[in-house]
Amino acid sequence: MPNTDVALRFVGLENKMSLDEYNFEHFRTKHLLSDAKATVEERGIKPGELAPDFELPRVGGGSLRLSELQGKPVILHFGSFS
Amino acid sequence: MHRNWNGEVEFVDVVIRQAHPGPRVPAYHSFEQKMRDGERYKREDDIAWTVLVDDLPGTTHQVYGGLADPTYIIDAKGRVAFYSMWTHAPTLHTSLEMLRTQGWRGVVGGGVDKTPHLAAAMTDGWKGLRRGLPQSLIDIETASPTVGISTWLGYQLRPLTAPMTLRAKPLPASAKIGLGVGAAAMLFLSARALIRDRSGYGSERRRIRMRPRRRQ
Repeated sequence: MPNTDVALRFVGLENKMSLDEYNFEHFRTKHLLSDAKATVEERGIKPGELAPDFELPRVGGGSLRLSELQGKPVILHFGSFS
Repeated sequence: MHRNWNGEVEFVDVVIRQAHPGPRVPAYHSFEQKMRDGERYKREDDIAWTVLVDDLPGTTHQVYGGLADPTYIIDAKGRVAFYSMWTHAPTLHTSLEMLRTQGWRGVVGGGVDKTPHLAAAMTDGWKGLRRGLPQSLIDIETASPTVGISTWLGYQLRPLTAPMTLRAKPLPASAKIGLGVGAAAMLFLSARALIRDRSGYGSERRRIRMRPRRRQ
């Protein structure tokens, strides 16, 4: 991950999960509860805030930096393959 | 939704961790594995827009809240205009329409939608869950009994329910009124039947109806 806003924020992130916690082997009740808690706490980037910039590899080749899309609205969805 | 807004809005998907791991979709241990799933996701789900792949620790996903299925609307100046914590296309559609009237700038619709929108998840959730079978189903039934089975059932009923639960736009006012009137009528008829049964009026009438007629 290049030195982007996201990488800097991640260092000081509260509720940060370790690599094994994040990539869990089995879906458990604690994951449901964690999602419910995160929803109640409105965890994430607050409306009105600048969306933290990131650069990620693109399927099909190359990479994309979020700030490259500035000037146009963006729908940014986070989803799992399973 | 992409068909409705393509050209005006940029669509970006970020592949995150396995939500329901299983033998064919194990938890990620390398970035290459995650990228392969990104490629499968784009191909199998026929995704026409940009798909990015987050790093192994989920740096971007965690900074953006770490939820299971969130969507942000980012305005033309790069600020968060709206945050749908449990992605719901009709709500996002309405928010985009509001943002367009504001010149694609600013916060819209109160900024956050926290509703879980379970109907959509019940209709479409099986698509992800079935990739991890059988472990994914055993895990979700252990974590939250009946959810996995309900999701399977919801998927089977998809031809009937999808036009309502997976719609890209909000229901028109006339449809909402129609549904409201239908629900009220059902409620009224059920309540009336219940009151009649309790008062014995209905059962007395049934007894009279069932009494054999005397031959003349």
